[in-house]
Amino acid sequence: MLTVTNLCKHFGGIRAVDGCSFTAEAGKITALIGPNGAGKTTAFNCISRTMAPTSGEVWLDGGRIDHLRPHEITAKGLSRTFQISRNLADMTVLENIVCQAPIRGWRGLMKPAMPPEEVAKAEGILEFLGISRLAHEDGANLSYGQKKLMDFAALLMSDPKIILLDEPAGGVNPSLLEEIIGHIRKLNEAGLTVLIVEHNMDLIMRLSHRVVVMAQGQVIADGPPEMVREDPAVLDAYLGGALEAA
Amino acid sequence: MASMDQSAVLEARRLYNARLALKADKTRAVWFPIAVLAVLLALPLLQLTSSNYNYVLHLVLYTASYVVMASGWNILGGFAGYISLGHNVFFAIGGYFAGMIYARYGVSTIILAPLAGLVAAVVGYVIGRITLKVRGPSFIISSLALVMIFRILFDNWDFVGGAAGVSLPAIDLPVKWAKVPYYYAFVVMAAVTVYATYRIKHSKFGLGLRAISKDEIKAESAGIDTRFYKTLAFAMSAFFVGMAGAVWGEYLTYIRPNIFLIILVSVNMVLMCILGGKGTIAGPVIGAILIVAFNEACVIFFGGSEINILATGLVMALALMFFPLGIIGSLARSGRLPRILNWD
Repeated sequence: MLTVTNLCKHFGGIRAVDGCSFTAEAGKITALIGPNGAGKTTAFNCISRTMAPTSGEVWLDGGRIDHLRPHEITAKGLSRTFQISRNLADMTVLENIVCQAPIRGWRGLMKPAMPPEEVAKAEGILEFLGISRLAHEDGANLSYGQKKLMDFAALLMSDPKIILLDEPAGGVNPSLLEEIIGHIRKLNEAGLTVLIVEHNMDLIMRLSHRVVVMAQGQVIADGPPEMVREDPAVLDAYLGGALEAA
Repeated sequence: MASMDQSAVLEARRLYNARLALKADKTRAVWFPIAVLAVLLALPLLQLTSSNYNYVLHLVLYTASYVVMASGWNILGGFAGYISLGHNVFFAIGGYFAGMIYARYGVSTIILAPLAGLVAAVVGYVIGRITLKVRGPSFIISSLALVMIFRILFDNWDFVGGAAGVSLPAIDLPVKWAKVPYYYAFVVMAAVTVYATYRIKHSKFGLGLRAISKDEIKAESAGIDTRFYKTLAFAMSAFFVGMAGAVWGEYLTYIRPNIFLIILVSVNMVLMCILGGKGTIAGPVIGAILIVAFNEACVIFFGGSEINILATGLVMALALMFFPLGIIGSLARSGRLPRILNWD
């Protein structure tokens, strides 16, 4: 579904992503993990084109997307969340979500901002996520975890085929974490392809069908979670030679 | 007992939500702006009485011209959050385009105004394509540079009279009625502009612009073509400012760079929006009324001094201390906005 080939992103002399290649298969949950500074988020940014990659190719459903602008990628069915939840303050939760509904052509621009069918859809999503009571709250008043859920809701509004989640569990409490895991699983069962960047190993091991491990901008391991967990290169990357010293 | 407690909580929550929803969709007092418009449209009937009300007409006309410009500016500065200090360039483009055609072929600028607006919009689209790549202070500086470029251009362009400008034929009406055509032109333009900004704010386009003003990267990844949206917003705001410029030239019977291309004009647009509340519909209108009235009062009390400039700065500072979001914006935030001023 999503194929990344030889992706590179250099910041001056720093090679944040250095020839990274992996595939996220349709209908599966793929996790991208690695120690801090491994280039996971940068890779994410290059895939969603929030940053322009230095070189490499990104393919979605047989079409190359690395030269498209972010909104075009979203229109092609790839939506993302941000590590630090970026929501639109001063707009209500409902507006934040409806904002993400696809717009078609010139005539779409002048349509009413909050058409009833989209509001109904947004309310349905909020219901699914269990935060419908927040619908009319100002986006700025939400707690950190609620913002994560709102991001999630906005993501679903654009009818994506594949979603990229950047640390969906970062800084959320354990009970919300369970909730988020449940949501991701349910969406995946409904046929949505998921690519996650995450530090929470518990979540990764429970959810993902496949784990891609990055270190220093490169993919060092790729396979089912049980296998990756035993991989010496992965242990080395995480524990940084502590094993040899012992 | 426990379930009873729960139902009380649920009930409280339901009420709270209902209140929030009500706040989101407050019924508007539509009659008020319409009544104001009706009064303004009937105002020239005063000229049928024995005395002369040209001064009143001039003040309303002047305010209306600023309502057009400030509301136009609001599309880019208020909705999309790009503060332009160079919008008088479009005022000049509209004024010169219509003024030159009027001078040469005698077509009234009131008829030409929409066309002049379109010309300004096209120029705005092209300029926006270049300058909207940057935001924040860089954008403000680029807009100031734009004014300087156009000032030099118009000062030295002989075809449009250079710095001396071109004088336009005055309208052939008795003094008492000479202002009336322009009066109607500006009042109608102001009404159209305010209505247009209302429609824009409530469209997908407006929602997208609001998203852009908050977080452009998020907006882009939400599927909004930010580059197109903001350039279009630039063109639209240029359209309205250009339209105002077109008629303004004929009203003054003169087009000259130092009428249009002085920083005061563009600063006034910005001040009006900030004072009234940028990003709101009624804000630029209230701002225009207050600033014009305030300047006029200063002139009445202190004569032809420059105290009004000093005082304007003082009022701005005070207003921003007590109304940081502008008068309309701050009142709406605290829920104390009178119904009749809720045009959003």
